[in-house]
Amino acid sequence: MASKQPVISDEYAEKITRVEELAYEIRIHEVMTEDVYSLKPDMKMEIALDIFQEQRFSGAPVTQGDELIGILSIEDLIRSLREGNLDAKVSDYMSTTLSTVRMHDPVVEALKTFSRTKYGRLLVTNQEGKLAGIITKGDISNGLLFALQRDYHAEELIRYRASHLFEDIVSGRTSLILRYEIRKGDFIHGGDASSKIKRALLRLGASPQIARRCGIAVYEAEMNLIIHTNHGGTLRVEIEPHKITMEAYDDGPGIEDVEQAMKPGWSTATHEIREMGFGAGMGLVNIKRCVDEMRLISSKERGTNLYMIIYLDNKEVPAEKETGP
Amino acid sequence: MYLDEIIENLSLKVLTDHTDFSETEAKSGYCSDLLSCVMTGADQGGVWITLMAHSNIIAVAALLDLSAIIITEEAQPDPDTIKKANEKDVRLLSSPQSSFQVVGKLWDLGLRSVEK
Amino acid sequence: MKISELVTRINGILLTDENKQDSEIAGAMGADLMSDVLASIQPEAALLTGLCNPQVIRTAQIADIRAIVFVRNKKPGQEMVRLANEENIPLITTRHGLFETCGILYQAGLKSLEM
Repeated sequence: MASKQPVISDEYAEKITRVEELAYEIRIHEVMTEDVYSLKPDMKMEIALDIFQEQRFSGAPVTQGDELIGILSIEDLIRSLREGNLDAKVSDYMSTTLSTVRMHDPVVEALKTFSRTKYGRLLVTNQEGKLAGIITKGDISNGLLFALQRDYHAEELIRYRASHLFEDIVSGRTSLILRYEIRKGDFIHGGDASSKIKRALLRLGASPQIARRCGIAVYEAEMNLIIHTNHGGTLRVEIEPHKITMEAYDDGPGIEDVEQAMKPGWSTATHEIREMGFGAGMGLVNIKRCVDEMRLISSKERGTNLYMIIYLDNKEVPAEKETGP
Repeated sequence: MYLDEIIENLSLKVLTDHTDFSETEAKSGYCSDLLSCVMTGADQGGVWITLMAHSNIIAVAALLDLSAIIITEEAQPDPDTIKKANEKDVRLLSSPQSSFQVVGKLWDLGLRSVEK
Repeated sequence: MKISELVTRINGILLTDENKQDSEIAGAMGADLMSDVLASIQPEAALLTGLCNPQVIRTAQIADIRAIVFVRNKKPGQEMVRLANEENIPLITTRHGLFETCGILYQAGLKSLEM
């Protein structure tokens, strides 16, 4: 073909590969046309012309009994028209060099024969070599497209099932709870829980934006438990169909001035913590930016409770909120 | 290169008292947000680019005799920090841009770091 | 800019497995404070940093960072490299400081990827 070589994107290449795979998976009989109308060798060309016009055929096999003996194409009809010879028999104009393919072969065999012979249609035979159907390039394209669509629906179904996990479970209130114990000073594992939470959300079908927002909020909360608590604390994430509630709680020492702790840049972190890249006084500010609702309750007696909620109702979730003035 | 050229080209805001910036030379550049790295990496007469705005940066800059600190992303030092900077003769400059952008522009102007 | 080009430009060494070299980074951010990175970095950026601890990789995973460049010859330990391979985040080390790394990449046309 003289067409220009198109630039093939990765996505497109993936589809090509799948089409190629399908060409080996799909059998000819799955896409061919059965119940083929066949012509008789002693039929007049005039009758064949009528049949072709009525049935909109572009070609038809010629059989004697159940024996396949030739194929008549629209080109053969045109030839007889031009020669003014419509009284002639089909057997005078039909082609007897037959290109056949076997019905149980994969579609790729038909594709190979097409490219070798330049024919527009091929006759399909069964195990006994008898006519079983006819196959055109159009049949193959349609068959492959149909199969691709079927694949796509299957993929969609998997995604649908994962993301509609909650809809498939009938209960008064369905939720999934993830809980992680965070140890004081455990910088080596700092962030492990958050990254597990982020991954779980992605698997459940949360959008990358939602997963990123939750990840950032819960990561800051996790680092706060590692840096600022007496004994560490707990991260608890409750995933419901409409919202994600993240909670970080500890048993002390509590935040002296909650209002001040919320100010950008305010930090009680030591020099060592700052040198580890934390304690810049941006943690709570970051959290507030990422979640829809945030509540910070703290006392010396009961430690600190931080609630963070992200709602999933709104279809178009805005990007992370702008901070500050 | 002198500070006035840097201030003008990068449209920096001067947070400390205005002095004659055409007399202060910027000999090199250094970028980090970790004080311990700055202590070992930055050189006398250098310009330090950081997004930190807390008061510890003044002590470090004074100790190393840096020519200026450029605070990026519009991080705002509190009034006490600015007062301390004026007392210790540390020039504080500010940019709304990121450290990456500020350093990129300084690099374009020809400022380099000291080869160690 | 492709990761492989970034490595060449800063005379870097790739420390993780040699896949994902072809993936495209959309820009860069230079910072050592992870909260600041979390606050402002955009997805698909390269993080240039002098900080070298596991939190950098966690931060990268959570903030969808494409690659991490450790400056001033900082080399992460085996455990960090393993974690980065697991998370599919290329780690690169360069002997340049943060100042040069920012300067070189800025001049090469890489944009700042911060809000």
